[in-house]
Amino acid sequence: MNGVADGTRFRGGRTARGTPRESSKPPKFTGRRTVRGWRTWLAGGTALAFLVLFLAFVAVLILADAFYIDGAAIEQLLSSSYIGHSLWMSVWTSVTTVVIALVFAIPAGYALSRFRFPLRVLADTLVDLPIVFPPLVAGLTLLVFFSRTALGRWIQNDLGLEFVFQPAGIVLCQFLVSASFAIRSAKTAFDEVDRRLESVALTLGCTPIRCFFRVSLPLAANGILTGAILTWARAFGLFGPLIIFVGSFRGRTEVLSTTIFLEQSVGNLELALTVALLMIAVALACLVAVRCIGGRTSMRY
Amino acid sequence: MIRTTCLSYSVGSFELREINLHVARGEHFVLLGPPGSGKSVFLECLCGLNRIDAGRIHIDGEDVTRLEPRLRRIGYVPQDYALFPHLSVDRNIAFGLAARGMKWRAAQPRIYRIAELLDISYLLGRTTAGLSGGERQRVALARALVLEPVVLLLDEPVSALDEVTRQEVCREIRQVQRALQITTIHVSHNLEEACTLADRAGLIRDGRFLQIGTIDALLRRPCDEQVARFMRCENIYAGETAGSSADGSATRVRLGDGEVELTVPGRWQGPLKILFRPEQVRLETPCRDEAIAGENHVLLRVVRFHDTLSHVRVTLNGPLKLVAHISHESFARLQAGEGSRLLAGVDRDAIHVIEES
Repeated sequence: MNGVADGTRFRGGRTARGTPRESSKPPKFTGRRTVRGWRTWLAGGTALAFLVLFLAFVAVLILADAFYIDGAAIEQLLSSSYIGHSLWMSVWTSVTTVVIALVFAIPAGYALSRFRFPLRVLADTLVDLPIVFPPLVAGLTLLVFFSRTALGRWIQNDLGLEFVFQPAGIVLCQFLVSASFAIRSAKTAFDEVDRRLESVALTLGCTPIRCFFRVSLPLAANGILTGAILTWARAFGLFGPLIIFVGSFRGRTEVLSTTIFLEQSVGNLELALTVALLMIAVALACLVAVRCIGGRTSMRY
Repeated sequence: MIRTTCLSYSVGSFELREINLHVARGEHFVLLGPPGSGKSVFLECLCGLNRIDAGRIHIDGEDVTRLEPRLRRIGYVPQDYALFPHLSVDRNIAFGLAARGMKWRAAQPRIYRIAELLDISYLLGRTTAGLSGGERQRVALARALVLEPVVLLLDEPVSALDEVTRQEVCREIRQVQRALQITTIHVSHNLEEACTLADRAGLIRDGRFLQIGTIDALLRRPCDEQVARFMRCENIYAGETAGSSADGSATRVRLGDGEVELTVPGRWQGPLKILFRPEQVRLETPCRDEAIAGENHVLLRVVRFHDTLSHVRVTLNGPLKLVAHISHESFARLQAGEGSRLLAGVDRDAIHVIEES
């Protein structure tokens, strides 16, 4: 332009030559681009191959089940009232178990992470004990406790809290077997919260309780959520202890896992597999939903 | 404003031993020391994050020894700033106000005011992810200052910053501290930082104070060799007294093998150590008659030299090993290089004596 040096910037966003103004934003960083040799590609490919193999293995098994069932089995599933009840029992008992497990896991995990008390190492080890229980042993232990010990009989008879062959017993069984996942995950999540953040919060005016709810818990939320997912998955699919402790009474203590067992034991394999696929679908939907919700959740001021 | 009396605290094998410190109202006190000396532990004791084993802490006349951290009216900025990653910048700043029950709407004017003071208004509403080191430091400072604390504790606030940002932030800290007249204890292991900011300073090592005083006192009159070495006084010599000066106001000291004799102020006897700073050494081209060089001059040979931003560091050897810091112009006038002979001199009053115990 006349009398104006090239490159001069104008408010309209064009330079003196009429070219668009350079973006004031920095170039987008698209990721590392390191130089890779063939060994790196080979190692990366091998790692991916293991992942693909595992996923393929799972997919093949699910597809094998899916191809086995037929339309009649699906129709029977959809029209069956006891399977609907069984699904409802599985869902509400497993969700209740997760809620109760979190009520225990959050304070217990925090105590294991932050407190120094006698026999802390022993307690930390024993938290994992129910995980390594043989599942049938868990059911048998509960049965013996409530039917053969004075304390168990007092709880059932005098307090009126009945568990043996009762729906509440499903929750108790699931809790015993899966709460350890929640506690362990909560403890790990709190371990990863920088203690310096809590210290600063205390100097800024927080009481220890407020510090826990405003700093520790929000920052540990993702880890706790992961623990909740693991707990729910274990509870939802539980079978062995339930058969022993609460049985599988249709309309009362039957859950999807015991339905599968009962149907296949009478030779109705197609229906059993259909119910199994239903369990997989429900589990997958819940996992996806929880992941999505967990990614959007944030603690407010 | 803040006083500790015989403060003692131990953790593991480390111990803070009977720390007595008084920092006056509005004073900027810098706590110096090498890593692991107990500086951060001491700050945490003042905050109440560590329960002390013995002693007392008084803030503004009030005994806060057994008070919870939230009740001590202390603003604390830890070493890595500890911004809450799940909160935005303005929520971080308002965190303490919320803890004290202030509603968000009522807190906003105070947030804006402190953000304006620290020049971080443009950060309000942003997340803490992606902030630069200087920005994080300012946000952490704003979070502490918005509560109008009586005492401000800064734990190495600029150690993680680059040189330019560090100087800029140090200037800002000084301006803010002066403007608010807030009593400040500032932990650092950097001497330049201390020289820029401190009204007084204290050197702590292995859990106890070696010396407390003005920066000038620590630099030019360190109480012992440990303090001298930390304050980068490299010219430290052991010697023996060899009589008084003619007027009796000074003492002649023979160094090392006795080849060099310096005159130091004061009357001394027996073995002692003397020291003087590299900046106090004068270098001159030797004249033909060395005998008229004068008091406290010695002929040495340049071993090596190198440029820094502010001076030339010259290492000399001979009957005495000596380090001198002189200006670039002065060194250029000497036209000296490695192997050159130069006359090194130091004023009597620049020499400090540490009596051997």
